[in-house]
Amino acid sequence: MELIQQAYNVLMTAVIIILAALIILSIIRSILGPGISDRIIAVNMIGTMVIMITAVFSVLLNENYLVDVCLIYAMISFLGVVVLCKVYTGVYLQRKQMRADLAAIEDNLKRQEEEEVEP
Amino acid sequence: MIGEWIRFGISAGCMVLGLVFMVSAVFGVNRFHHALNRMHAAALGDTLGILFVILGLIVMRGFSMDSLKLSMVIVFFWIASPVSGHMISRLEAMTDERLGEIMVLERNNGIRVDMPDEPKGEKRVHVKKQKKEGKADGAV
Repeated sequence: MELIQQAYNVLMTAVIIILAALIILSIIRSILGPGISDRIIAVNMIGTMVIMITAVFSVLLNENYLVDVCLIYAMISFLGVVVLCKVYTGVYLQRKQMRADLAAIEDNLKRQEEEEVEP
Repeated sequence: MIGEWIRFGISAGCMVLGLVFMVSAVFGVNRFHHALNRMHAAALGDTLGILFVILGLIVMRGFSMDSLKLSMVIVFFWIASPVSGHMISRLEAMTDERLGEIMVLERNNGIRVDMPDEPKGEKRVHVKKQKKEGKADGAV
């Protein structure tokens, strides 16, 4: 009975260590990623792995409330991804509209100058 | 005693399988070049990786209130992950301006990808030229 408990502890500790290493690799991708959506994908994956680590800890330390932390973390991480996507869609549309407005103003000015020159 | 070891073997197999899925997901996210390909790799870890790791924990724990909550985590993730993937892909499809361009494959020397310059840069250069011409006209 003692031996099997040790085997469970070794298994869960190894899983936690490997997941921590994978989180570091994901952080590297979230820093390097060229676009905003690459970073959001990497952050989403970091959230997934943190949920896994919390679930493993809840069994390893025999604490029941960590499972509730898991559920709440999953909900908040999902909400964070949705809000980030909405915010960056809005930012992109706003920049596009500002660019279009500037181009329209310059076009208008140029046309006025041409009209002044022609007569 | 043997039953306990069989249970340990099943849970260890499930958790190692989940770790294999997570390792391949992280490898794919670091290796692919475009965001949509990266999403394809990341969805693997979001669904199968978390399924197998938490299934291993449920087998380890036996049937109790805890394992019910753990399975609720899986159910929530399987509902929420496609939604967030849809949002990310919509953001990417809206933001990426070279998304619909055609890639040309050459038969002789592997793969050659034809990608013209970014339309963004062209527009900016065009606007700057217009500005310079306008200033020059004003000076004259």
